[in-house]
Amino acid sequence: MKIICVIPAFNEAKNISQVVAEVRPYVQEVVVVDDNSQDNTAALAEMTGATVLRHLINRGQGAALQTGNDYALKNDADIIVHFDGDNQFLAAEIPDMVKPLLENEAEIVFGSRFLQKKADFPPLKKYLIYPLAKIFTRLFLGIKLSDPQNGFRAFSRQAAQKIHIDNRAMAHNSEIQIKAFQQKLKIVEIPITVVYHEFGQKLSDGLKIAKDLLIHKIIK
Amino acid sequence: MLQQIIAIFIIVFFIFRLIKQKKKKDINNNEFSLWLIFWLLALTAIILIKQIDSLVAWLGFSGEGINFLIYLAVLALFYLVFRLQLSLAKLDRDLTKIIRHLSLNDKKEL
Repeated sequence: MKIICVIPAFNEAKNISQVVAEVRPYVQEVVVVDDNSQDNTAALAEMTGATVLRHLINRGQGAALQTGNDYALKNDADIIVHFDGDNQFLAAEIPDMVKPLLENEAEIVFGSRFLQKKADFPPLKKYLIYPLAKIFTRLFLGIKLSDPQNGFRAFSRQAAQKIHIDNRAMAHNSEIQIKAFQQKLKIVEIPITVVYHEFGQKLSDGLKIAKDLLIHKIIK
Repeated sequence: MLQQIIAIFIIVFFIFRLIKQKKKKDINNNEFSLWLIFWLLALTAIILIKQIDSLVAWLGFSGEGINFLIYLAVLALFYLVFRLQLSLAKLDRDLTKIIRHLSLNDKKEL
């Protein structure tokens, strides 16, 4: 089983070496998609042993993930793991994410911050942004998952072939979940740990995600 | 009456400009037809403004025909902005495809 981990990165020089080094023991290949960083993210990732793909123009996290998926599929990956480059996930949880795929219990696995494990959420996120996002995704997108915005996920090869990420920015999280449901894939959620180093997405980003999803639905 | 004449002159000016652009091949047939229809409709509306007044009253709207035309123009502008946003989104998607292709090809060549 060839497992390739795709890490989108934009100006992550501070974290990328540590993230790549921690992920490498759990997968066969780490692919860092450098989304036109202005620092030395690409060089550091390469030095730590990752395969580096470079975007000539910054295209956003969703675009970087699809570039990584395309590379992984071309290079015979059986399982593709998406992992953030900002050191907020624990690499040691990759085997938990991959396990349902190896045991044929799932075709796609989503990490969730809202199951058993504790995540140290900023209060505004915990009490306002995530509940609103959850209501939006349930009511308007029909997604019944506990975590609507989580970047830690694992695909079987077949699932990655069926799901093409069109949203280049942050709406890709919801897009992947929507497509997983539309394709009737076997979905499993796994509790994961998230360590917040910065606030991340704001309420205004949530509104932008909703707008992006709508536009992509229309131009489809 | 004077306002109508001024408006007609402005529209005729734009129609001449449009024809000039078409001759210079700055715009294609479809764009030329679309804008020509738009300006001819505007010209008709200005010439028949009294009849539009009656039509608007008959439809049950208060106010003059010119107000009604302005509302229609605002609606048309909203629609055009929406269309523009969609075409920008399509261009954006195509740009991403090119960047991805270059990125994967670069790796292959290394």
